[in-house]
Amino acid sequence: MAAQQGDVLLDVEGLSKSYGAVRALEQVSVRVRKGSVHAVVGENGAGKSTLIKIISGAERADAGTLRFAGEPVTVPGTNQAMDLGIATVYQEPQLFADLTVAENIFLGREIRRGGRIDWRAQAERVQTLLDELGLPRHYARRQVGELSVAAKQQVSIAKAMAREARLLILDEPSAILTDNEIEILFDLVRRLVQRGVAVIYISHRLDELFRITDTVTVMRDGQVVGTFGTEDLSVRQIAELMVGHELDNGRTHRDPPAGEPMLSLRGLGRGEAFRDVDVDVAAGEIVALYGLVGSGADEIAATLYGIKPATAGSITIGGTPARIRSPRDAQRHRLAMLPADRKQHGVFAIQDVAFNITTGHARGFRRFGFLMDRARENRVVRELMERLAVKAPGPHTPVDALSGGNQQKVVLARQLVDRPSVLVLEEPTQGVDVGAKEEIHRLVADLAAQGTAVLVVTADLPEALRVADRIVVVRQGTTTVEFDPGARQADVLAAAAGELSQEGAG
Amino acid sequence: MTALDERPRTPRRGPTGALGGRITGQELVLIGVIAGLWLVLGLATDTFFQAGTLGNLAYVVAPIALVGIGMTVVIASGGIDVSVGSAVTVVTVIVAKLVRDQGASFAVALLVAVGAGALLGLTNGLLISLGRVHAIIITFGTLNLFRFIALRIFDSEQVAGVPGTLAFLGGGGAGRTWNVPHAFLLMLLLAAITWWFMRNTPSGRHYYAMGGDRAAARLAGVNVRRQEILAYVLTGVLVGLASTVIIGGGGLIGQNVGVGMELQVIAAVVIGGTSIMGGRGTVLGTVLGALLVGTVSSGVTILHWPSQLTSLFVGVFILVAVGTDVLRERARRRA
Amino acid sequence: MSTTRTGQAPGRAGSVPARLLRALVTQRLVLLVVLLAGLIVVMKLLENGGYLLAPYSSDYLAAALIDAVPLGLLALAELVVIVSGRGGIDLSVGSMVSLTGMTFGFAVGQWGWPLLPAALLALLAGGLLGAVNGFFVAALGFPPLITTLATYYAYSSLALVSNGSAPISTPRIQELTWLTQPVELPLFGRYVPDFPMGLFLFALPVIVLLWLNVTRGTYGRQLYAIGTNDTAGRYAGVPVAWVRFRAYLVSGLICGLVAIVNVSQFASARPDAGTAGNGMALPAITIAVLGGVAITGGIGRVVGVVVATVLVVWLNAGILLSFEGSEGSQYQLLALGGVLVFAAVLNGFATRRYGGTS
Repeated sequence: MAAQQGDVLLDVEGLSKSYGAVRALEQVSVRVRKGSVHAVVGENGAGKSTLIKIISGAERADAGTLRFAGEPVTVPGTNQAMDLGIATVYQEPQLFADLTVAENIFLGREIRRGGRIDWRAQAERVQTLLDELGLPRHYARRQVGELSVAAKQQVSIAKAMAREARLLILDEPSAILTDNEIEILFDLVRRLVQRGVAVIYISHRLDELFRITDTVTVMRDGQVVGTFGTEDLSVRQIAELMVGHELDNGRTHRDPPAGEPMLSLRGLGRGEAFRDVDVDVAAGEIVALYGLVGSGADEIAATLYGIKPATAGSITIGGTPARIRSPRDAQRHRLAMLPADRKQHGVFAIQDVAFNITTGHARGFRRFGFLMDRARENRVVRELMERLAVKAPGPHTPVDALSGGNQQKVVLARQLVDRPSVLVLEEPTQGVDVGAKEEIHRLVADLAAQGTAVLVVTADLPEALRVADRIVVVRQGTTTVEFDPGARQADVLAAAAGELSQEGAG
Repeated sequence: MTALDERPRTPRRGPTGALGGRITGQELVLIGVIAGLWLVLGLATDTFFQAGTLGNLAYVVAPIALVGIGMTVVIASGGIDVSVGSAVTVVTVIVAKLVRDQGASFAVALLVAVGAGALLGLTNGLLISLGRVHAIIITFGTLNLFRFIALRIFDSEQVAGVPGTLAFLGGGGAGRTWNVPHAFLLMLLLAAITWWFMRNTPSGRHYYAMGGDRAAARLAGVNVRRQEILAYVLTGVLVGLASTVIIGGGGLIGQNVGVGMELQVIAAVVIGGTSIMGGRGTVLGTVLGALLVGTVSSGVTILHWPSQLTSLFVGVFILVAVGTDVLRERARRRA
Repeated sequence: MSTTRTGQAPGRAGSVPARLLRALVTQRLVLLVVLLAGLIVVMKLLENGGYLLAPYSSDYLAAALIDAVPLGLLALAELVVIVSGRGGIDLSVGSMVSLTGMTFGFAVGQWGWPLLPAALLALLAGGLLGAVNGFFVAALGFPPLITTLATYYAYSSLALVSNGSAPISTPRIQELTWLTQPVELPLFGRYVPDFPMGLFLFALPVIVLLWLNVTRGTYGRQLYAIGTNDTAGRYAGVPVAWVRFRAYLVSGLICGLVAIVNVSQFASARPDAGTAGNGMALPAITIAVLGGVAITGGIGRVVGVVVATVLVVWLNAGILLSFEGSEGSQYQLLALGGVLVFAAVLNGFATRRYGGTS
């Protein structure tokens, strides 16, 4: 069993949490020991993030107890968690770009001497801290805005340690890092552990668990499946535990068409984000581009749609080479995309449903050269609302009055106004309820049946297996193996999560 | 860029302890441009380096730079105050009438000026902070309200025959020592104090944090509201001092005093390198920005060019300053 | 945009007074119309009580509308620019009016151009100046507040330098006053007051054109889209920079028109026409905000701004009748400032209490 380094630092007992009718956590118990790097793994929606939110004071549990260093504690807010010595480092570090690293570390708790900041004392403290953590000393005086993402993450960790954190929660720290940067992160984590700090390490990349963690807690459907010593498991075993017994994934049988590819990517690459991506999607076919967070799958989608243009390789649509440098180029080639970030990239929140559906299709609704054809707009909008089963009082309801699932359908409807020949869906069911998820999956199948080439870019494995005719795994910025939808979840997951010597399984 | 860029680098700002951190790149450029202009003007004319010309330049710059000190704090912390011109009108007419009609002493006049300015600033601060409305809208409103108050006090007449009670801060002989206007020295003193404050105190640093990310600053324990209100009060106090400088030797105070001054102040702040988005900016830069604008104005005059050309140059300088800021932001985002 | 919020905020249920309050707070048009009606009632009462210097008559109100033409047009220009988002604002409208007015003045008064070509030249000049703003803001990504502050300076300087700070007021320019003077309407003109010519020549065409384009047109759809969510606009395939550029271009064109109105109204092309005193930009922005335009972009209606203009102009006209001498113009400042702060605080309240204004 788990390596028993030391005393239990954090003892979570019987934690439960519901959001409305959804049970996010059910009777979760975890023990984290001093000086241990404790991985928490699970698929999306398994309850990992709810668990860390409760531990770090961002959410409150419905039931259950927390004991920290032997004492029962309540964590009503993030500041109280910090006072206890529980610090969380998120993927997007909350730092002030125009202040120096030293200032960021001490913001709000400056060392003062006679009303002014004692720069010397602060600098010394920071230098000592950086030395202890094995980080370069010159960081102290740099402005955070000048640092790389990886360096900012290191600064966030240093900031937590400056507040004497005893438990550090790292939320998918490696997703945004290159291999080199991950090495540096691991060195840093090892130093923390030597100082007796406990680390909760959230990650999707299972291979790295073996290099840095000693204990693994596997979660599934809001429950703890089990806690194990890392060395007792393999990538494959962890994947099996995460997935559980194979369920019938509700897939309806489809006959995938085998025609000429409608969308064809050859050697596509962009800077350091991804390279050598080869994918074909035939008309009427649904292909899933499955990759974990940080795999580069989302970057491929952004490039296909012209948000961040490619620097290498080619995109061919319907047999003709396409040079896509903006979303408008993509539209001209009849390629539409549903973006993953609904709030930032999708909806026009204060505007109504009709506005949200027809915006971007000015040409199709133009009358007398400049007027909106409101009759036609109304017709098209009503048609699409019906087809997508958008639950809204009418086309003139503000979109932010709708549920997440219905908002997603509205944004999806926008992609269908011009009948695209290629449809890219990025995380199409993120943050939508189960019913809407079903409907969106059915809709995607319908669209394909009508001859659209569909590329689903997703980090949600059951979704990939359920909707796709083929699953292409993206790992470390390139396409790797391919599975057919009959594949076992654990196999696909293991391939994406870094099991080595993986041959195309079936 | 890789994670560990070991290249040693001169830090850009103060809290670094290094001498190189005391002056920013933009400030160096400004010093260079001002020095260059002075050199050209000195060579092109016989009069520029006469003490009188430079003294006048310093006196004209003083009120703009004084208010600019407060405006720097306001803009760096993510706000803006377009009511300062009207606030100057209010304080000026109050104090001018006070010294003329009540025979108020220098000390009383100064005290009333500072108090009245602070009150106007407090009004702005409270409305912005409690009303939770964008600063530009509120201060557009108070711009009109303050002007109304000022015109009521003017009572449809200019204030003529103001005695020289405040001449010590004025542009005349009584306001200068060795031809250096006391107003300019006062401005330098306050600029130095504020510069030090913004650089070296927790509260000063918190203004930059607020301008960078208000919500995160609040989470880090910064008392955002108190800081915000104080910034507007500080600006009001400086408005009060600027008003006493404008009254100076007395004489005639017209109803147009202060009108449009907010734009000159904001121009000086922006040319000085303060980002209108907040989070970045120094008082030293603002003083240099005001000095640059004053130099251009003075140069246009002694070259006998149409004085209205000054605005054209100011406009171009603003665009250049903003252009460098935009480019720097882009370069940073790409890094 | 005509988004009526159908049941999602608190305070929806409830008594008639509660719903009235809600309508007043969240629907700017309702508030403006109520204020306008209240204003007329109060002024009529004052008139009957003998407190006014002259009757607050329909003839007086109609004549006062000539002030609404430049004010309303510039407020509409601010509407387009502010709605375009990303901190959209145009501080340079006053100096654009000055500079295009001088251009127009030169063309008519000194070069002897006929009215029509000269008017076209003024529009062209306005469009060019607006395009400069649009280029910096939309293509280069400069912050609008500072960009238009810079061009405010540059344009006003050029206007002043163009004729050595002197106005152009030749007889040919003085002949243009018919453009803005009151006229009797044909057919039923005897039964209604005489309205200023400028209303029909300038204000109505612009209002109709803007309403068609912004409220009913495909351009407006794109404009509100980028103002609401710039990034989502890009993802939806809206040509973001081009749409925003055109907003500033429209602002410049409107300034060209206002310049013609201004020159004919005062029978003189003055180089400080739009910048004297507090300038024209501040009242224009104030009216836009009062009309329901949100400074954050994406919200604001043409009708709201038009009604807000009429409200402010008639309020000003009433104030002029209520005070002797220059006191009236002073109280106009109080009204403008007070109304703006009130509207802004109300917007903030509406957002927190009901989730927004429409």
